[in-house]
Amino acid sequence: MSRLVVRGWWLVAAVVVVAFSSSTLVRAADPDKGKAIFEQCAACHSLGDPGDYDGPSLKGVIGRKAGSLEDYRYSAAMKRSDVTWDAGTLDTYVTDPQAFIPGNRMAFAGISDKTQREDLIAYLATAAR
Amino acid sequence: MATRLKEVDVVIVGLGWTGGILAKELSEAGMHVVALERGGMRATNPDFAIPLIRDELKYAVRNALMQNPARDTLTFRHSQSERSLPMRQLGSFLPGEGLGGAGVHWNGVTWRWTGIDHALRSHYEQRYGKAFIPADMPVQDWPITYKELEPYYDKFEHTAGVSGKAGNLRGTVQAGGNVFEAPRDRDYPLPPLEPSYSQMLFADASAQAGYHPFPRPSANASRAYTNPDGSRLGACVYCGHCERFGCEANAKGSPHITVIPKAMAQPTFELRTHAWVTKVLLDSTRRKAIGVAYTNVLTGEEYEQPAGLVALCAYAINNVHLMLLSGIGAPYDATTQKGVVGRNYCYQPGGGGVTLFFEDKIFNPFMATGAFGVALDDFHASDQFDRTAMGAIGGATITVGQSNGRPIGYRPVPAGTPRWGAEWKKATAKWYLRSMNIGVTASNMPNRYNAYDLDPTYKNVFGQPLLRLTYNFLENDKKVVGFVGQKAAEIARSLKATSMNGPGTLGEYSIVPYQSTHNTGGAIMGTSPRDSAVNRYMQSWDVPNVFVVGASAFPHNSAYNPTGPVGALAYWAADAIKTKFRQRPGLLT
Repeated sequence: MSRLVVRGWWLVAAVVVVAFSSSTLVRAADPDKGKAIFEQCAACHSLGDPGDYDGPSLKGVIGRKAGSLEDYRYSAAMKRSDVTWDAGTLDTYVTDPQAFIPGNRMAFAGISDKTQREDLIAYLATAAR
Repeated sequence: MATRLKEVDVVIVGLGWTGGILAKELSEAGMHVVALERGGMRATNPDFAIPLIRDELKYAVRNALMQNPARDTLTFRHSQSERSLPMRQLGSFLPGEGLGGAGVHWNGVTWRWTGIDHALRSHYEQRYGKAFIPADMPVQDWPITYKELEPYYDKFEHTAGVSGKAGNLRGTVQAGGNVFEAPRDRDYPLPPLEPSYSQMLFADASAQAGYHPFPRPSANASRAYTNPDGSRLGACVYCGHCERFGCEANAKGSPHITVIPKAMAQPTFELRTHAWVTKVLLDSTRRKAIGVAYTNVLTGEEYEQPAGLVALCAYAINNVHLMLLSGIGAPYDATTQKGVVGRNYCYQPGGGGVTLFFEDKIFNPFMATGAFGVALDDFHASDQFDRTAMGAIGGATITVGQSNGRPIGYRPVPAGTPRWGAEWKKATAKWYLRSMNIGVTASNMPNRYNAYDLDPTYKNVFGQPLLRLTYNFLENDKKVVGFVGQKAAEIARSLKATSMNGPGTLGEYSIVPYQSTHNTGGAIMGTSPRDSAVNRYMQSWDVPNVFVVGASAFPHNSAYNPTGPVGALAYWAADAIKTKFRQRPGLLT
């Protein structure tokens, strides 16, 4: 278990560097395209009130500590992850959720396309405030 | 002493797909509905959340979501001359238990049955003459035409989020869909899932052989989807944990994420879990139900729930059991062929398929969904297929699916491999990625001796007689599986595999290995009380305020999976209750 976590953190560092360099130098992330990608998340995640969704609300997710909403029952893995959501951590998480936070309960395989992840995170930054 | 509760308009026995649909439709219409579910409450979060749901031993081997046969089961025999014995472990089929029922742990294959299925006897008599149907095969037409049921099939497909491609839109054949399907008013709500490599190979080979491959309709959402009721489904992640599992991604159309939460939002609806209904209570005339008796299985407390209408929405087997235990309708006697409740039990023969092994191909079987597949209906729904060559009634679909590649259950090895030991281990490691299966699934015609009644010896935990099943595969089934199995093998040979297992032949039915949870009949629908237990509205001929909904109503079994018409008939029956029975309680005409 601990080995996996360590490996996950190496990945964070690597991906954050790549994400920043590509988004600043090559293209601007497109929140409109990200809105379409968010459809994959919308079955479980609200951008507003918690409602009857299976996942926690993403309202205010950027800047939030992972596993910190009081009215949501998180996995132990998420609660003890000690992650704070920003563009970098979200990118790593959405790439391969189980690799980053092993044992978390989000039923999602991940998005391998970097451009799609950037668009999604750009959308979250505007829509999930 | 049972506690007598306050009367309600409707009591629903069993809260799976059919119970959930009735619960939603009737409570939204303002009727006061109580649903009694013998199992517990279930929700995707936390019950089906990863990683815990991906536990093959717990869910697929030890059947965590299914009926516990130590509490209630059925007895089985092949023929009247055998002694029946209780099925003490689940095997051949897997009745669900708990909120959502088998609608939680199904694969999601969602067919509309064809015009042939809806008018079976008429079709065969017209096309092949009356003598073509054997005297001991009591096939009969449905009392509902395909055209009448079409809007209800559509409603169910849109509720469950079915992925597929139309083959016939209002009479115009659509290339790439099932060209043999009956006309539909509109396409499926979602496009087909991405096919597996094995499905692509099969689609090419079968098209080259002149057949008509199409994507099998699947209630596994190919995209995120919000259904017309506002229920949200996620996109399928091809994790290969459908059948026997609840879906972690809410991508499998299931009652616990669609109709049941909608019913639960109604103030006129109440759910009671762990409520085991032992009997439908009748008045002294035996022509009217006054409610049901049930036991809270957590406390042992007994209750009577009075109701104006009783809807039996349990698993198909248990609907028939409850009718026999309650004395609703005359029990069927295979010797005299008198009575109706228990007749026309049908199942679904498989076993004619082939498994192919390729040294040079990798199939990645773990990327799987319960229902996706490429299917051929050329030997089933097609009325151009001349049954005289086969010498039998019915037909079979040929399909390449890939429901899972799970480590315990999925171990294909070439014929002749040792069953255990080092050689088996070597073979299973070598062929896990390199094999594919072409399945043959046959229809099943009723026979006078394939039927249910009450067992004279064995009892359940409530002291009630167990249901007894008398069943075997018959000559007609063996001919269908043999004939269509050869067609599947011809297609398979064109794929030039390294080796091939099969095609198999159909032997005696065994209740031990899993085959399918497609048990039908026993409380069949028809146009007359002489040969059916319920009328076209799923209403008991004998006790008109009892409705019996589910595959128990099918007069025969198609080669298709049952859930499409099960859902459609539930919407159909709910409509009849809302718009007809509610205004004028009594036998509907």
